[in-house]
Amino acid sequence: MFPMALRSLNLPGVGTKYEFVTDKGDTVAIFFTKTGSIQMYTLQQGCNTPSAAEMTPVEARRLGNILTGAIIEADSDSVEVAFSALADLRITLHTYLIPAAIAGKTIEDLQIRAKTGTTVIAVSRHNMNIINPSPSFVFETGDAALVIGETDQLKSFEREIMVN
Amino acid sequence: MEGIVLALFICLVLALVTKYLSVPAIPFYILAGVILGQAGLGLVASNEISHFLSEMGLIFLLFFMGLGLKIERVLENRSAVLTSGIVDLNVNMIIGFAASYLLGFSLVESFVVASAFYISSTAMTLTSLIENRKLMIKEAETIIWLMVFEDLVMIIILALISAGNQNLIVFAVKILFVLGILYALAHYGKEFLISILDRDDELPILFTFAAVLTTASFSMYLGVPETMMVIALGVAFATTDPDAFEQHARPFKDVFLVVFFVFFGVTINLSGGADWFVIAVICTLAVVSKLVSGILTGIYIHGSALSGIEIWGNTIGRGEFSIALAVLYGSPVVGATIAAMVIVTSIVGAFMAKYSTSLRRGIVGLGRRSAPPRRIHTKH
Repeated sequence: MFPMALRSLNLPGVGTKYEFVTDKGDTVAIFFTKTGSIQMYTLQQGCNTPSAAEMTPVEARRLGNILTGAIIEADSDSVEVAFSALADLRITLHTYLIPAAIAGKTIEDLQIRAKTGTTVIAVSRHNMNIINPSPSFVFETGDAALVIGETDQLKSFEREIMVN
Repeated sequence: MEGIVLALFICLVLALVTKYLSVPAIPFYILAGVILGQAGLGLVASNEISHFLSEMGLIFLLFFMGLGLKIERVLENRSAVLTSGIVDLNVNMIIGFAASYLLGFSLVESFVVASAFYISSTAMTLTSLIENRKLMIKEAETIIWLMVFEDLVMIIILALISAGNQNLIVFAVKILFVLGILYALAHYGKEFLISILDRDDELPILFTFAAVLTTASFSMYLGVPETMMVIALGVAFATTDPDAFEQHARPFKDVFLVVFFVFFGVTINLSGGADWFVIAVICTLAVVSKLVSGILTGIYIHGSALSGIEIWGNTIGRGEFSIALAVLYGSPVVGATIAAMVIVTSIVGAFMAKYSTSLRRGIVGLGRRSAPPRRIHTKH
């Protein structure tokens, strides 16, 4: 038996509708309306009136991330992302506040990649973001660095670099 | 010029307020026009500029409607579209025509009033379905296809009325000639059209504007109804990249259509023999006859009169197309009658669309109370 037949339908003037019935008999319908908003309806089996939520595209994407399990762990300064298509690759993004000890040094001086295997992918300084800083980038006190790597590599970043 | 600016400013305020309250803006634009215009304070009068802008509003409204009409999609859903569409057409046209004729309108006037009486506002209906979060109810699809059917009938009505006093063969040949040019443009010029639409500069929007205006004036020059031809242009362009055309035509439609509505109100003349009794009867019947057609459709399609009440609640409002018919073919009396009908039905419609679900539940509740008490079912 085909578990869930996803029905997609183009409604003239309104937008596109996606609908499927779950194994338990509940119905879920999503409408991408022409006004740009996304409406999600759920109808419990045996119930007559659906309940609805209207979302902006950003909110809908957030919901999608939660549902696909893309975000496993989300606390204030770190996010772990799992890619099920890449043999369950789990990769973590972590933000660190640069301490005075390493201020004035460059990424190259600190040998971040060689020592820890992590990469600094962005630095936030005075509300400005520097994406993909070059090896000659000089840290300042108060910079927030976004570092990417596996959990173990980030642990070694904390040990090797942050206490330097 | 000051008149247009004043009218536009008031419409801007009205748009803000109606959006905030989520009620349709069209009746308020017309009311504002009536109050500002010759029937009210006399602050704003229509002139050549307002007339031109209004006409553009109408032309872009119809072009937009054409873009949304995907004929092949209609043919795929023939059975769904036809049953509800034919019930809706027959009930409302017959009631509308009989009432107007009996109330003393001439045959042609009665046909114009009946057509305006028949055609619900697609814009109001679709907005109300989205805003009241009714897209999932089973009647929603029926209602949406009903609007498509009404749009198709609108094209036929435009053809019928404008063909009225012409040599039919010459008329048909001219129409086929223009349609042929449009088809050839969309078919052989497809690559070119898409390459123009893909650009980031002013060309796509300039092209859209020029194409619509050229089609309109070329049709006028040939003596074929420009209204039909801009719809046809929309249908033809919809075969290339309808989303891009919608995006480029939307600003023109949105602005000029507001001018169109408010200046329709401005030109309403209540001293021209508009009869309050006639207006009251037409307005009441306009609400009632959609209830009749709604219930019949509900029974035919969903096997339930209650579904009919949902269909009714969302299709009461008459709007842009009724006004278009009044502007194109209506005498002052017809215009005033249709204006009143649009204002009354769109306000009643907005209210019913919001509360139709509660109304339905109320009716079911009443039925339950009068029925013998049933044993309470418990699950184990």
